Amino acid sequence: MEDDRLDIRRRRLVKGASALAGLTAAGSWLPARAQSGGRVVLGTWGGDYSKLLAKNVDTPLLAPKKYEVVHDIGGDAERRAKMRAEARLPRGTSDLQGLSAAQMYEMNEAGLCLPIDYAKIPNAQYLLAPLKYPYGLGHIYSGKVILYNPKLISTPPTSFADALDARHGSKLGIIDIQYQFTMMAAALASGGSMTNYEPGKERLMACRKAGAKILPTNEAMAQALQNEEVGVCIMWKARAVQWQKAGAKVETVAPKEGIPLYVSGFVIPKNAPNKDAAHFWLNEMLEPSAQEAFAEDMGYNPSVTNAKIPAETERRIGFNADERKRLIDLDYGYLAKNDAALKEWWDKSFKG
Amino acid sequence: MLAPASIVVMIGIVIPIFILFRYSLNQYTPAKMMVDAFTFENYAKFFTDPFYRAVLLRTIRVAAVCTAICVVLAFPMAYCLARTRSRFKSLLLMMVILPLFVGNAVRAAGWMVAFGNRGIVNSMAMGMGITHEPVQIMYTEFAVVVGIIAVNLPFVVLTLQAVLEGIDRAIEEAALGLGAGPWNTFRHVLLPLAVPGVITGTILSFILAMNAYATPVLLGGPTFQMMGPTVYNQFAGLSNWPFGAALSFVLMTATLVLTVVSNWVAHRGYRR
Repeated sequence: MEDDRLDIRRRRLVKGASALAGLTAAGSWLPARAQSGGRVVLGTWGGDYSKLLAKNVDTPLLAPKKYEVVHDIGGDAERRAKMRAEARLPRGTSDLQGLSAAQMYEMNEAGLCLPIDYAKIPNAQYLLAPLKYPYGLGHIYSGKVILYNPKLISTPPTSFADALDARHGSKLGIIDIQYQFTMMAAALASGGSMTNYEPGKERLMACRKAGAKILPTNEAMAQALQNEEVGVCIMWKARAVQWQKAGAKVETVAPKEGIPLYVSGFVIPKNAPNKDAAHFWLNEMLEPSAQEAFAEDMGYNPSVTNAKIPAETERRIGFNADERKRLIDLDYGYLAKNDAALKEWWDKSFKG
Repeated sequence: MLAPASIVVMIGIVIPIFILFRYSLNQYTPAKMMVDAFTFENYAKFFTDPFYRAVLLRTIRVAAVCTAICVVLAFPMAYCLARTRSRFKSLLLMMVILPLFVGNAVRAAGWMVAFGNRGIVNSMAMGMGITHEPVQIMYTEFAVVVGIIAVNLPFVVLTLQAVLEGIDRAIEEAALGLGAGPWNTFRHVLLPLAVPGVITGTILSFILAMNAYATPVLLGGPTFQMMGPTVYNQFAGLSNWPFGAALSFVLMTATLVLTVVSNWVAHRGYRR
């Protein structure tokens, strides 16, 4: 009996020693652990975007390196509220959050984003400079253009002023969730600027009075264009390409006043549980293969210079030299400061 | 014996409501979202702004109309269910319960297909020559009212059916035998006895309609604003939790007060 006990003690000792040796060994390669596995919780929009992230980034690039990528799917509004609600926790529930550039700015202003350590993201050397933020990375971009159906709109619009015009009556469609960009386009069409949306309000009210249709989502607009209930609207060029692929008979025009940029990217919450893995995921997101696949599948432009896009795809989704000169970035500070007031006007005066 | 239930209620309902009320007294700033304070300015904003008052009144109107229509439609359905001796009674009951197996959003999606400009309703109307152009049904109050009635009707039918089952058929037969016509039997015998069921069904339908979210969002669209979506928009869209919390309390209080008052009025009338 005594011998048995001794034997057990001996076995425990051996086990303990092995465990200790294992831990020591693990300690020696701990910094490299993120490179060889781990779990990444990715906050993202659902639908195509989530599917394509899985198809073009998670599965081909992360899975072989033993990373488990979990998508926390939801609208950006809900996910931003979650980031705010979790701000006081030492350990949040997500490692990355997919947001628009304006929302990334807003979250950073609220003190919720981890400064990006670009030393951990070698692929960032190819990242377009305007999409390289201290608090996040642009993933893909497109620009706001005019969509019109030549069958319903006889004179092709060339500017936001042409598109957001009361003469179109109920043939003009406006997307509710795109209130910021709609107000921005109306401002640019009415003598306003990226830091002053006020001049556009009168134009929008005139369109509303003339019967412009307000549709709740991008998808509702796609359907309205397909059904020819709407003949003209403003939208990202990438979406226009998708809708054209789906059979909508619409043409796109880059507006004279300028092409406001839409950037979709990612931030790392300050309390992300796996910050190293989050940086690693961002690096893989910028891989040319992932960027090229996104351009082909979703119609958005790559955010890196080393992605090779076929000429035909480039023609459909990209902007020519003249148009590129007209790409204009938003004033994120103005938006963050005035968003609540803009939305209040939109809900109460424009829609109300 | 009541302690475990009380603890669950405390943790699950009372504490979150208390936290929500505390939030409603805080201040909103775009950068920080919520700043600790003790102010009633969010409530003042609601009551002084005609827009938010109109949203509340619209919600009450829609809830009242839906509830009235639900009760009127549900009574004959519940009566038939309660009085039928058919061997298919279980099947009929199942047909009433069946819509409850499907979520509100899914049912609203079905209405969206029916009410679209190229939906079944417009196609039929144009096919029959009633109209030559599609009629705008989606994103109107009518669409929302129809959607909410479809959601609430089974609840009211089941509530009324349970009460009508308990009313002895002999009482009705006695009234009819004593010369009261069907209308008088309904008015002076059946309806007074069914009042508890009518009140419960009314309360249930009214509360559900006041707090409706998916149906107004999907069928009402961006321009038809009710309280439920407005509360959500403040929390999730604008991150204005203090005002969202104040709106929640206004909605909760309005629902409670109107329910208690209507219950009291109905009971008073019933006693007379």
